Amino acid sequence: MTTQTAVTLTGVTKKYGAVQAVAGVDLTIRAGEVVALLGPNGAGKSTTIEMLLGLVRPDQGSVQVYGGTPTDAIGAGQVGVMLQSGGIIEDAKVGELINLVAGLHKNPMPVGEALDRAGIADLADRKMKGLSGGQKQRVRFAMAIIPQPDLIVLDEPTTGMDVESRRDFWASMHAETARGRTVLFATHYLEEADAYADRVVLMRHGKVVADGTAAQIKASVSGRRIRATVPGADLAMLASLPGVRNVETRGDVVLLQCADSDDTLRYLLTNTSAHDIEVTSADLEDAVLAISAEQESAA
Amino acid sequence: MNRDYLIFDIRRTLRNRRVLIFSMLMPIVLFLIFGITLPKDASEGGISAIAYVMVSMGMFGSMSAAMSSGGVIAAERDGGWNRTLRLTPLKPQAYVITKVLLSLLLAIPPLVVVFLAGLIFGHVHLSASQWITVALVSWLGALPFAAIGLVIGYVAKPDSVQPITGLATMLIAAFGGLWLPVSQMPSLMKHIAQLTPAYWTGQTSRSALTQSGLDTHALLVVLGWTVVLGMIGLRRFRADTARA
Repeated sequence: MTTQTAVTLTGVTKKYGAVQAVAGVDLTIRAGEVVALLGPNGAGKSTTIEMLLGLVRPDQGSVQVYGGTPTDAIGAGQVGVMLQSGGIIEDAKVGELINLVAGLHKNPMPVGEALDRAGIADLADRKMKGLSGGQKQRVRFAMAIIPQPDLIVLDEPTTGMDVESRRDFWASMHAETARGRTVLFATHYLEEADAYADRVVLMRHGKVVADGTAAQIKASVSGRRIRATVPGADLAMLASLPGVRNVETRGDVVLLQCADSDDTLRYLLTNTSAHDIEVTSADLEDAVLAISAEQESAA
Repeated sequence: MNRDYLIFDIRRTLRNRRVLIFSMLMPIVLFLIFGITLPKDASEGGISAIAYVMVSMGMFGSMSAAMSSGGVIAAERDGGWNRTLRLTPLKPQAYVITKVLLSLLLAIPPLVVVFLAGLIFGHVHLSASQWITVALVSWLGALPFAAIGLVIGYVAKPDSVQPITGLATMLIAAFGGLWLPVSQMPSLMKHIAQLTPAYWTGQTSRSALTQSGLDTHALLVVLGWTVVLGMIGLRRFRADTARA
């Protein structure tokens, strides 16, 4: 593989009415990288991808894919795309659709191979409209890899999949990244970004708020959340416990953000009347909040 | 044009038999109602009246069938299919030509059944070369309607495409003189008739039956309509990147 640049976004913005969907994104993706575009719904991931693919024209800024316009790169068959939803023909059979997409590209892989790699060889004679959400995603995946692209772009590829199909999907995807393809995928699952990307680009409110390895992103969201019903809780006491970062209340319900939940739990169970206790991992929203808070205090 | 895309669309169309059968049923019923009841020696513009009605109803059938492809295009767009196409190297021109060719193929069955009915039930007498010319010219006369179908497919939503196509078909057929000969229309209607592509396709087709030979002026107008509408379809395809 060469170390050329696959994608360059420079100062890209896009506004829909009063909503600033993308508020100035700079992003360079080198050939061979596997990049996760991570962020909550409404962060601007899909719009960023649409501009990268030339489906949406940015208000400002420029987009380059392999040194040319997105349309040029797509015309040259360098880009394979898996859309989030739609983009298929419901009354077509799986095999017909894949065969058609192969026919629209210049240097496609054999149809049978694409079906095999996507794990849908047994569905070739089935109509699209009878398939489950996960099966349709696999068809979309076959459509993305059949041009043998240098760059694969996937917009929330595992939406609507159950746990098992999600695992199968990433196993298929891994086989593609192992071939040295450059991959950009949007997701709102931190675990997916962590497990499959070399690099995680975190977006919020149309901006890139963090860019690094998954480990770097995760470091800012270590910790747990505890939710418990504690009648007459002494909030000052709870806040002063070692390992507790933040305390909130909703009536009798107490929400604790903890660096170390074990000590806090021990205290709650032995010293208070806490009941209905739930412990959850910090989620992506916490990560985004934590990172944004850091940036704001640094600014 | 893209061969794989055309084959793909033909296979889908053949599976949808109801649409195919309906496209043949309507013009043949109209022909039997209006054509067979005519007196045997009636004529219109130097052509036997029954042959005149046969050509008109054949044109009506091929035109409706060609325009009906707009419904499929609107449904495809609604499902975000255009985005998928835009993310492949398929050229907009190849897309438009493929869709127009598909419409031309759809225009064949109604034309064939109406002409067969003319031959069998209407006892229309034409020389072999006249049959061939009128069939070919009527078929290619569906070109502007294939382009109209394409444009409707790009402006209409799936739930409005049927009424829009139905209304457009009726207006064009009625005002273009496919149901009532233009010569029998009041003079204002005659002027309106000339604004519709159907008038010119009808002129071209019927000219194949007269001694004076093919009406090249009418043929050029038909091609002009096709090119202009095709360009509009092309522009719409380029502009359409809607999500599902």
